Amino acid sequence: MASPTQGEDSDDGMDEFMEKFKTHKYKNAFNESNWEEEFDKVPMFMKTAPEDIDPVKHPDLACLQSIIHDDERPPEEQAKSLKDEGNEYFKEKNYTKAIVSYTAGLKKNCSDSDLSAILYTNRAAAHFHLGNLRSALNDSISARKVKPCHLKAIIRGAQCCMELRNYAAALQWCDEGLKLLPTDKKLLELRSTADKRRRAAERDARKSKAKEKKKQTERGTLLAAIKERGIRLLQPKQPQHRGSDSEEDGSDDGTTAAMAELYLDGLDSQEATGAQVYLDEQGALHWPVLFLYPEHRQTDFVSAFCENSSFIDHLAVMFGEELPPWDTERKYHPQHLQVFFEDHETQHLYEVDVGTSLLKILQLPCCCVQAGTPSFIVLVKGSPFCEQYFSNKKVRLLLLKPLC
Amino acid sequence: MLSDSEAKELLSFLHLDTRADVRGQATEYILGLTGTRDGCRYLQTQPGFLKALITLTADSSIAIVKDCYHALINLSADETLHETLIKEADILPMLFRNLLDPEYVFADRICTILTNLTRHERTCREVFRVMQEQDVGLAKVVEIFCIEGFNKKALLHYLGPLLSNLTQLPESRHFLLDKERCVVQRLLPFTQYEGSVTRRGGVVGTLRNCCFDYMYHEWLLSDAVDILPFLLLPLAGPEELSEEENEGLPVDLQYLPEDKTREEDPDIRKMLIETLLLLTATKVGRQIMKEKNVYPIMREFHKWEKEPQVLIGDEPEAGMENLMEVEIPQDVEQQLKDLDTKEQEQVEKETLLLLRQEAEKEVVEQPNMQNPEGLER
Repeated sequence: MASPTQGEDSDDGMDEFMEKFKTHKYKNAFNESNWEEEFDKVPMFMKTAPEDIDPVKHPDLACLQSIIHDDERPPEEQAKSLKDEGNEYFKEKNYTKAIVSYTAGLKKNCSDSDLSAILYTNRAAAHFHLGNLRSALNDSISARKVKPCHLKAIIRGAQCCMELRNYAAALQWCDEGLKLLPTDKKLLELRSTADKRRRAAERDARKSKAKEKKKQTERGTLLAAIKERGIRLLQPKQPQHRGSDSEEDGSDDGTTAAMAELYLDGLDSQEATGAQVYLDEQGALHWPVLFLYPEHRQTDFVSAFCENSSFIDHLAVMFGEELPPWDTERKYHPQHLQVFFEDHETQHLYEVDVGTSLLKILQLPCCCVQAGTPSFIVLVKGSPFCEQYFSNKKVRLLLLKPLC
Repeated sequence: MLSDSEAKELLSFLHLDTRADVRGQATEYILGLTGTRDGCRYLQTQPGFLKALITLTADSSIAIVKDCYHALINLSADETLHETLIKEADILPMLFRNLLDPEYVFADRICTILTNLTRHERTCREVFRVMQEQDVGLAKVVEIFCIEGFNKKALLHYLGPLLSNLTQLPESRHFLLDKERCVVQRLLPFTQYEGSVTRRGGVVGTLRNCCFDYMYHEWLLSDAVDILPFLLLPLAGPEELSEEENEGLPVDLQYLPEDKTREEDPDIRKMLIETLLLLTATKVGRQIMKEKNVYPIMREFHKWEKEPQVLIGDEPEAGMENLMEVEIPQDVEQQLKDLDTKEQEQVEKETLLLLRQEAEKEVVEQPNMQNPEGLER
């Protein structure tokens, strides 16, 4: 130590140190080209903490961290440091790391219940921001177990319940909080929102119930109308998921209206068009009807064939102005067409008088509606395909005509 | 009545350490006195007996405790006893202490006594003052009233009429209507409480009284409280409304199920209508109610209601002939000219509501109170 010169303030040798530079050049200076890099390695000048602190590369930082994680210190101190660490990560929105820190802090099992409550609550917040609502809720509950009057935990718990759409529970949390602090604005607001959403949810439940009921009534009316007309509904061959176990066909006398219900569902229809028979305001049924053209393997779908319309009404429109493109021989003129109904049970073909209404045809005993969609086969009278087609089937050329 | 020496002797029997059968008979005798008006008036001059009764509510014999409460209820039903009960006999601390005890078996009887004591304004004010002083507070009363099963042995339905009586005081209304807290909001769901007509009536009476303070109307009708659906739900029925009408209603009134029933007690229905009328007193209140589009509910209710005194009458009732003398405000008169018939009918109805309410203001200044309760004597 240089002895202080009289009259000077310094007693730490600073002046002497500075004196040296007048004569010696400073060694170990930063290099001009990489001084920024070097700066970044000095803990004091680091802008962000490095991901993993390598004691070799960053001995100083590792040293600092080891101070934090020094197991020699009492658990309360360690826990507090971990809480601070977690809070730092939280501020950076690095919630996952924050959770790790808080968890480590909780593992210290320190006796400070305030600190534990804060650790739980903060971890709950981190989970909340990550969308881990159940974990956040559990942590809020844990926080309260440790410190029942911890208001932040109660608020967090209420928020979790809100996000989980458990409004009754959210209300309960809010009320418990309001018991402690009746004027807390956050709680009052949360409670008001929870109550509003609960009431809206109740309304939604009532609304869907009302709609369901209406649907059922309409369905009932529809089925009654069909039954009243004596029209038979057939079960499709594929197995059903809902309701019935049995596989009988032809359960047609309406003994199980519920079963028949399934067959009307457009979803069950082989055509999966979503179209369904309905009853109009005048009380007439409109059916989705399928026309099959086996000669060309084509189909036509009429989504709403009024039961009072006749086949020729539709055929005239379908084949009236323009013939379909698949009709390569240009022979499917309305007046040349023959319409048949195939009874799948007996494999008989019944010819339908095109002047008859759909209703009258469906009412005939040999007719039944499969999968909610009546289907008819259309051929050209006297065509070669016709002959061939008939030879494969048992054709009962009974003309289906009303008796009057 | 009793001579001085007889009274002294009787009083000496009314101690906790007297022989049980003697104690019991003495208590019975007092109870008998409370069964008549003269007996009550006599006891008013003998605060010693009142104090004894209060002390004996802690008796080990349930039969004696029951008799004591029976007697106190009878006494509290007579207004001339109120000051003596509160001042000389100092009944309130005992009442409040036991009321707040979730295990206290006789809590319901306490509610009845308190309801009786708060019937008239003077004693009511005194009760309220002691309540706030003793840290019981209106907050606590509302709290235990709203907690389902707070007391396993007592139903506490009579806290409803108690609250209703308390709200004759502006200071208690201001507490209930505190915008910084959640107080009145907790009472609202009870307008539909099926388990007790007493509780329901008490709550509706409380809300009615609160609506006498016009300055709170906007807040009451706002989302912060949203009082309107809770007043209308008891009046709404199962009738199916169109989807359009439903979507226009407040959320709580939409798509009501087909098993919805209306409030069966006509007095409560009347109070509900009165409360709704009160809410039309201010312009902003009328505006909000119109926006809430609750007309379909009232329309169906009108069709359903049979009791004539509940309905908004078209004929002015006795004492309200001045209804016809009240001038129709100019802007309303203009509206009447401009609207088509259906709307005109509605506006006329609303005008009648306003006019009736104006008239009522002169006739009834004070909020209504609950009738005194006394068990059979």
